[in-house]
Amino acid sequence: MGLFPFFGSQSEESKRATEVRTGAVAPSRAERQKCWEARDAYFACLDRNNIVDALKEDKKAGKVCGAESQKFEGDCAIQWVTYFKKWRVQDIQKKARIKELEAQGANKLDVATDFAPRKD
Amino acid sequence: MARAMMNLLPRTIQQQCARSMSTARSAASKRPTTSSLSQSQCQSFQPLTQRRFKFKTVEEAKSRYRSGPFSWKAGLLFVLTGGGLLYYFEQEKVRMQRKRIAESSKGVGRPKVGGPFKLMDQNGQTVTDQDLKGRYSLVYFGFTHCPDICPEELDKMARMFDLVEQQRPGVLAPVFVTCDPARDGPKELKEYLAEFHPRFIGLTGTYDQIKAMCKAYRVYFSTPTDVKPGQDYLVDHSIYFYLMDPEGDFVEALGRQHSPDQAAKIILDHMKDWKGKLKTA
Repeated sequence: MGLFPFFGSQSEESKRATEVRTGAVAPSRAERQKCWEARDAYFACLDRNNIVDALKEDKKAGKVCGAESQKFEGDCAIQWVTYFKKWRVQDIQKKARIKELEAQGANKLDVATDFAPRKD
Repeated sequence: MARAMMNLLPRTIQQQCARSMSTARSAASKRPTTSSLSQSQCQSFQPLTQRRFKFKTVEEAKSRYRSGPFSWKAGLLFVLTGGGLLYYFEQEKVRMQRKRIAESSKGVGRPKVGGPFKLMDQNGQTVTDQDLKGRYSLVYFGFTHCPDICPEELDKMARMFDLVEQQRPGVLAPVFVTCDPARDGPKELKEYLAEFHPRFIGLTGTYDQIKAMCKAYRVYFSTPTDVKPGQDYLVDHSIYFYLMDPEGDFVEALGRQHSPDQAAKIILDHMKDWKGKLKTA
């Protein structure tokens, strides 16, 4: 490490990243932020390509959103990746159902459904 | 002579009065009380006739005649009194509603939510329910590997806590209880919570202690059962903030629908209602 400080620090970093990915350590605030950004970029790509369930359509998702997917899986814990993909399906279904209910004239309850911080 | 006239005058008025009364209610005139009754009624007219001389000028009297008993002063008094009463009743209504929420969980005997516990904080110190008494506490359950909701809610809790702290320093204790005791020891909690707020109290313990704690707070949580050592997993759990009063009784649950400002206001309002002793530390 003394001779190759650059390599040393990098392996330290990648060691930490691997630990985060496997769930050996809990991610820090900065790591969470990085993961969420990668997730949002990946979801934006899925939106563009009309993919709802990235777990079912993983071949198609891998083809069109390969780069985003790689970043997403690199920055987030494996468990989180699966969780977020499942969450997205549920969220889309929920939003569609709410839209349907609103069309029928149902009253809206004040409940947050997205990750964005609330501005009120 | 003049004095005799003056003496005579009220008497004639009295008599007229008595007569008019007796004609109106002839049966009543036989009762001994009638005369004294009519007399007092007649006397009550007299100050009225004298009031006429209170006005100094004719204009004053005329304006008084035109506006009747209504003046801007009377109007202002009416509006102020009405507004004051309305404000008071509205305030009381809101206060009673809060009181009802706070007391609905103060049943006889065992409290429905919360109760005795013995856990360990992020510095390795033992913390029991007795340590939290004397202050309000805001209890949240989560785990450090939580993907989205807990970190967001903890940021919210930090904001809420700061807002309350600004107005009532030291009265609220922010508590985070892990639902994942297998992975969240004091060291992990310390690292995790330091990124949210330096004042947060993180609690952990053995699986059974945590399970008992969650049961007492009616918190649902499920850890996957077939986890191999070193394998990653997520914990499913309830996401409410539990506001507990200085006696350790449950007051209100704050959820995702409350913004930090709304939640801080609810907490501060409950604190205002608290009549008992408060510890500030």
